[in-house]
Amino acid sequence: MLLESVEYTRPRNLDEALRALASREGAAVLAGGQSLVNVLKNRVASVDLLVDVSRLDELRRIEVGADGGLEIGACVTYDELERSDDIRGAQPMLASAAGHIEDRQIRNRGTIGGNCCLSDPSNNLPPLLIALGATMNVQGPGGGRQVPAEDFFFGYFMPALEPGEILRSISIPPLADDAGVGYQALSVGHDSKAIVRAAAHVRGGDTIEDARVVLAVVGPRPVRHSAMEDLLNGAPASAETVERASEAIGDGDGLEPISDAHGSADYRRRVARVLARRAVYEAMMRGARS
Amino acid sequence: MSSVPVAQTTVESVEKPDRLGEWSGKSIPRKEDGRHLKGQALFTDDKWQHRMGYAHFVRSPHAHARIVSVDTSRAEALEGVFGTLTGDEVKDLSEPFFQIAPPPGGNLKEWCLAVGKVRYQGDAVAVVLAESREIARDAAELVEVEYEPLPAIVDGIAAADPDAPLLHDEVGSNIVWHGVYDYGDIDWALENADHVVKIDRLHFHRFSSTPLECNAAVVNWEQGTGVIEIFSNNQMPMFASLVIGPALGVPSNKIQFQSQDIGGAFGIKIGSYPQITALALLSKKLGRPAKWTEYRTDHMLSAGHGNERTFVDIQVPVMADGTILGVKVRAFDDAGAYLHYEPLGAVIWSQVVPGCYKIKHVQVDFTETVSNKCPTIPNRGYSRMQHLWLIERIVDVVATELGFDPVELRKHNYIQPEDYPYETPNACVYDSGDLPKALDLALGAVDYPAWLKRQEELGTGSGKRIGIGIGTTLDSGTNNFGQARIINPELPFSGNGEAAYAKLDLYGEVNLNLGTTPQGQGHETTAAQVVADILGMSPDDVNVTAGFDQRHNTYVAFSGTYASQFAVTGLGAAMGAAEKLRAEILKVAAYALEADEADLDLGGGQVFVRGDRERAIPFIGIANLVYSNNAVLSPELAGSVSLNCRHVYVPPFQVPDHEAKTGNLTLTYASQTHVCVLEIDEETGHVEILDYAVADDCGRVINPMIVDGQVHGATALGIGAALFETFEYDDEGQLMQSSFYDYHAITALDAPHIKTEHVQTPSPFTPNGAKGMGEGGGAPLHAVCAAIQNALDDGAPVVSESHNSWERIYRLINHEPNAPRGVEVVTR
Repeated sequence: MLLESVEYTRPRNLDEALRALASREGAAVLAGGQSLVNVLKNRVASVDLLVDVSRLDELRRIEVGADGGLEIGACVTYDELERSDDIRGAQPMLASAAGHIEDRQIRNRGTIGGNCCLSDPSNNLPPLLIALGATMNVQGPGGGRQVPAEDFFFGYFMPALEPGEILRSISIPPLADDAGVGYQALSVGHDSKAIVRAAAHVRGGDTIEDARVVLAVVGPRPVRHSAMEDLLNGAPASAETVERASEAIGDGDGLEPISDAHGSADYRRRVARVLARRAVYEAMMRGARS
Repeated sequence: MSSVPVAQTTVESVEKPDRLGEWSGKSIPRKEDGRHLKGQALFTDDKWQHRMGYAHFVRSPHAHARIVSVDTSRAEALEGVFGTLTGDEVKDLSEPFFQIAPPPGGNLKEWCLAVGKVRYQGDAVAVVLAESREIARDAAELVEVEYEPLPAIVDGIAAADPDAPLLHDEVGSNIVWHGVYDYGDIDWALENADHVVKIDRLHFHRFSSTPLECNAAVVNWEQGTGVIEIFSNNQMPMFASLVIGPALGVPSNKIQFQSQDIGGAFGIKIGSYPQITALALLSKKLGRPAKWTEYRTDHMLSAGHGNERTFVDIQVPVMADGTILGVKVRAFDDAGAYLHYEPLGAVIWSQVVPGCYKIKHVQVDFTETVSNKCPTIPNRGYSRMQHLWLIERIVDVVATELGFDPVELRKHNYIQPEDYPYETPNACVYDSGDLPKALDLALGAVDYPAWLKRQEELGTGSGKRIGIGIGTTLDSGTNNFGQARIINPELPFSGNGEAAYAKLDLYGEVNLNLGTTPQGQGHETTAAQVVADILGMSPDDVNVTAGFDQRHNTYVAFSGTYASQFAVTGLGAAMGAAEKLRAEILKVAAYALEADEADLDLGGGQVFVRGDRERAIPFIGIANLVYSNNAVLSPELAGSVSLNCRHVYVPPFQVPDHEAKTGNLTLTYASQTHVCVLEIDEETGHVEILDYAVADDCGRVINPMIVDGQVHGATALGIGAALFETFEYDDEGQLMQSSFYDYHAITALDAPHIKTEHVQTPSPFTPNGAKGMGEGGGAPLHAVCAAIQNALDDGAPVVSESHNSWERIYRLINHEPNAPRGVEVVTR
């Protein structure tokens, strides 16, 4: 109701979509529209052609490999993620995180690809996908390429996509038998923007073999906290280890939280330390239980 | 009749035959719900008119700036644009709005668009009319406004400084009203108290009840008749007429307001009169109806925020046994850039001077200022909520500092059931209540002893804190508009009232018209319940005309829906009209049945001879005789009944004493007692509400389900305000929460399960024993702040803000060891 006038096309397959996207400098990919349409309403981006990929079968599939590895089409909705037995079985934390995004209306339309391609630092899924070691499968006019999730979220509203490229799917490696995942978020209300997020993937038994700790809403992009990871790797899997490692989060660690209506930079940094600790501990406990 | 004489206040108790009972008091389903659930309601945005254009306002990005130039040529050139209206034109075509404040505050000049200067971010400088919403918005972006920014002032206390940037030259300062309310002898109390508790500062923040539907209006200045037709969701159309008429130079009989369904208002929708005025001028200039549906961000920037009040230098004399003798305080209300309904907030709080307590000595030095922020507007709990929050904070701080149990301290100081009617220090009369019982019920509902035990068991090291807080509040309803004279003795206002019109229709059904503007309160249902009881028929056969309609409905100058009064004024009018209709029906029936009126009764939609239901005439027969068969009647009877009966309910008020600032300012005092149990995460400040109970007392309940709904709504909005919702400005006067991304309006997911308990102490002063209760009095703010305080250690600072974000709570929990606590106790 508030959009500037804009053209709309619904291609029949990915190739057509790529051609449509290449046809116009102001073309943009429309998936669930839960962010893009708001951006257009607020007129902060200028788009003259919407390429609607939301109904493309090839972007709507969830495939599970024999090893439990997943390939999730970019236009799978949050609701489908939450309800999919395959996702619940292979990556239960992803299903759970998707089920907590905003409200039901949004979950019915919003997609995993849209959540990633917006590259909003407060979005739910990017830190988790980095922690899970996901790979983003990108399709461009010249063919496909793979981008580690860690490198995909480039900056504020800037995904690592070249003009004319579309995120086709997201691959997530299987969870190892000795691995667990933790995910923590603090938000103002149940369905509002997060103040800080933390996701963790921890592998190992009595000793932590590999820990990935990702923090979000503490800068322009979700980031792995390597100093904390270094303190965890090779250390005994204990609450004390996690507590000590979380102290690496602090001044001079490269985090650049902003101050806004919901919290100061200093508060975000303090909360980041708490949530990182909780996420790692949660991951450790879940790993130990399985 | 019995009467209660007090200093200047006499309130007649109402003793009339009680016909309520068969339908009243029952949770009958709401008549309104069918059309709402089926999407068949008529909201303002659903209204369409031939040749109508869509309006979009051009708003200032600056908090304070001189308007150098406004160039609308590019906008006007856009295809589909009908035209524009600017501040310079408005200055020529209309007068500034009338001001409630006396000079110098009353010298303030506000037109419906900014003239010469903008004074807050969102101030409207121009308006565009186009053939679609989209074109109107596109065109608004093409209006080129050159601004010369000026320094902004966003702090309501600093605004009072003579050196502060001046908003309105004609006022001479930013102080628009000042007065000292002085009751009892506060100096004596401070000198003779065993303890004086001193609190540095308490701040009640800005927020809004964020109605689901924003403001909207379709305005058509009919060129032929000169009538201005206004279909809108304004909730106080007669006040709007009072302001708009003189501004446009049109008599009030040429202003015709109408409304039907309104999607929530909460007081905020009193404030749409400047936009409606601009739409009228736009309509006249362009010869077209002008439709405006406000966008959410415009609503948040400019539709009005609830009153922000800062209390400083608070002194509370307390006796050794816990008796709170009085309160001395300086209060600053920050009205924002213009006075919309203000400075009435500077007196309306005084409806509840002692809160729920027998506090006898009160001195409030009250200053109202303007600042470069959105104008304030009444918001659910208007002005009393701010003062009641102060009183409840005081009671809890006294309990904490002097070591009293907060339950016992309240019960010791409460006005007791036997004290009613209770005269407050400023001659208000509290009609009825049982506060100790309400508190016991609410505490019982949460199992208070069990929570106290849990709190103790939790101990340190768990990372969690449990806090339990009580909020006792009042919802004073049915205003005496005479209190406006305390603000400005020249204002010729006093009393209150509402009108209703009851008509027996052709086939014996009843039509009832009201002057109210319901916004979800269920007026159609409750009015039908009382009318059905009086006329002995089913509420299904009583059609209540929804909404305000200056063309067809009856009304008085006080008509509207605001200030917790429908159950008294609206139903009072409906009952009066139904009684008059009943008398006429009996008269006709007595003639038809050849019986004595005294032997007749009404029931099942007919009139029958008591003891002989076979001798009866149905209402359709009565209607037939009067409307279609009147030659059968005697000429005397035919000439004396019309079956069309109007009644104006007038509450028993006198004119307050503006010099002493005393008088009976409201007729009824509903109460709500809230108990909140919450858990705080020490490491983040995050709060989870574990248990929540409310005991409400609104006198006689007409529809318990509707009352529970109001309690739930007031509770949710109050919790939202206490934890999530705030409007804050940065130093440059930019609003930091101008969309739902940053302003988290509470949702069902955030609201706790609310346990409700009921006390019914009927009001002796109202026609039906009911007390208005729609606003609720903001008790969650009191209870949540008290619970947070209760969770803190003894060395923690006082919870001094009504809004507590997770960070603020985190800072309170993790305070510096020697942080200033903001409180001091002097003991004799």
